[in-house]
Amino acid sequence: MPRDLAAAVARFATLLRRSGLPVTLVEVTDAVRALDHLDLGDRHELYLGLRAIFVTRPEEVPPFDRCFDAFWRIAPDGDDSSGFIPAPAIEDPTGASVVKSDQKKEALALDSWGEEEAEEAGDPLSVPLASEAEALVHQDFATFGADQLDDLLKLTVKIARRLAHRMSRRRRPRKRRGRVDLRRTLRANLTKGDLIDLRFRERKRKKVRLVLLCDVSGSMDLYSRFLLQFLFALQSVFGRVETFIFSTRLTRISELLRGRSYRQVLRRLTDVRDWSGGTKIGESLAQFNREWPHLVDRRTIVIVLSDGWDTGEPDVLATELMRIKRRAARVIWLNPLLGNPSYEPLTRGMAAALPLIDDFAAGHNLAALRDLAGKLHL
Amino acid sequence: MREDIRKIQEMMEAAEYVTDAPVATSVHLAMRLRKPLLIEGPAGVGKTEVAKVMARVLGTNLIRLQCYEGLDVSTALYEWNYQKQLLHIKLGEASHNNRAVSEQEHEIFSEPFLLRRPLLQAITQESQAPVLLVDECDRTDEEFEAFMLEVFSEWQVTIPEIGTIKATHPPHVILTSNRTRELSDALRRRCLYLWIDYPTPDKELRIIARKVPGINQRLAREIAKFMETLRQVRLAKVPGVAETLDWAQALASLHADHIDDALVAETLGCVLKDVDDMKRFRAEVAKTGLATFLPAAAS
Repeated sequence: MPRDLAAAVARFATLLRRSGLPVTLVEVTDAVRALDHLDLGDRHELYLGLRAIFVTRPEEVPPFDRCFDAFWRIAPDGDDSSGFIPAPAIEDPTGASVVKSDQKKEALALDSWGEEEAEEAGDPLSVPLASEAEALVHQDFATFGADQLDDLLKLTVKIARRLAHRMSRRRRPRKRRGRVDLRRTLRANLTKGDLIDLRFRERKRKKVRLVLLCDVSGSMDLYSRFLLQFLFALQSVFGRVETFIFSTRLTRISELLRGRSYRQVLRRLTDVRDWSGGTKIGESLAQFNREWPHLVDRRTIVIVLSDGWDTGEPDVLATELMRIKRRAARVIWLNPLLGNPSYEPLTRGMAAALPLIDDFAAGHNLAALRDLAGKLHL
Repeated sequence: MREDIRKIQEMMEAAEYVTDAPVATSVHLAMRLRKPLLIEGPAGVGKTEVAKVMARVLGTNLIRLQCYEGLDVSTALYEWNYQKQLLHIKLGEASHNNRAVSEQEHEIFSEPFLLRRPLLQAITQESQAPVLLVDECDRTDEEFEAFMLEVFSEWQVTIPEIGTIKATHPPHVILTSNRTRELSDALRRRCLYLWIDYPTPDKELRIIARKVPGINQRLAREIAKFMETLRQVRLAKVPGVAETLDWAQALASLHADHIDDALVAETLGCVLKDVDDMKRFRAEVAKTGLATFLPAAAS
């Protein structure tokens, strides 16, 4: 194996990493080993082979393709079959420039979510006095100033963590003793000559799954972020949390939220979000049903957060919500406007959705989120 | 193209599996690098089939571990045959031989009383490496996934009563997933990856011709084109290749030689399995006509 070829693979891996693929050393070694088993004169075969190694999910294919095209260029004399030459220097073919997040005051405040973990270790949280905290808990998120949001988010996480601890310890009384554990029963009764002392095995506990569909248009954005922050701090309680945001279209962000800091996620979100357009709730739910129907089953609670201002047809919203309801354990709709005592759900979208909802709640302040946590079991 | 890859492709075709370069290349590398191959894609595109064909091509056993929620180690790896153990103890009592408990224990926790579940079977094959198919591995939970990773990295398991069993021939592993749950990065990075999408009309045509021999040429072409167009309609349950084949079989047995409105109305149930989808399809046909679902009327 030519040594420069191995080096080229290593440089190619660096390029992939820069484009966001979390390439490991093992994969690089595998790629070098794979070169022995591939026809290096066949560019397509090389492409397929390296793709099988470096790509681990469909979303990674487009960036991989861009890197491959940029890196393994065909030599100018295209007929030469031994022909691709590794590009000498590494350049970033994605041209991904970091989008500056200059949107809205809350965006700035929310930037520090990612650092919350790090700070917690050294510097103890400056939690407001009890009475003060109690006031914060009942105050609508939208009424806080940008400078207060930081503290509020920390408080949100703190409350959620405490809840998570309690929720995971809570055991409902067992209706059934579970199956007889023959293995342990047999061991326990070896000297007794018969099976007198039965041993039981608790059934494998199944956790609730959540699907979150969060409206991020206009004022809903702020509430969505609090809901996300709250539920992510609770994550360990649930079997799986799948997160989507929508305005005019739906975007799955579960992957973005996994293992990356919120700062990075937020940066990407500014690309995704449509700040100007209205909200198409029905269309967004339709897209969810079309592309991710398998994420909802009888142990999944679906939470929609939206004010119900739908610029689309209410019929579409009703039909699509019905599809979700038929498969889900429960559908919870959070409408922060409900926090206002004089609010009535009269918008066409909200009116269409209401009969199909199991729980209609506000989610507009910390107390409301705390109540929500109490409902997230089957 | 490399000779081995061409050979794999040919062998797969000979084993009645219509394939293409990405599939053949991935299978080739999985065998050469001895790495598990993770296959994802929509339901009904023949992910599982890859493992079956691979076993046939290698002339080896296929061992299948069907995953489901709550799958645990005792179902996947091994379990003791309790009934047999009990019987053995009872028989021992009947013949009044008073042996020491420890001796008895040693006896009933030995190989003859062991039930080998798929994973254990896979590592204790005597003659050659089998193909281990871990089907729909997204349906298990994270704990089981972690357990599988452990088995895949060492290819040995420890049974407390017997000891450590090391694989004589580490199996070729194929994992399939429908993405109902996102698999962990650790598992993904350990595997080669292959995404199989719905077939192109050309590939689907070849599949139909292969699996429904004797089907009318024109009909087959129309079916392939029809399916391609149908999959672009916004459906709740997009039909897979299995549906295509059911339908082709149905139409062939009706001796049809082309698709028309009446025929579609009668046999739509082969392809669409959801009332809303049927409605949506009919609305689409009412709007654009059946002709948009069929190849342009050339030759």
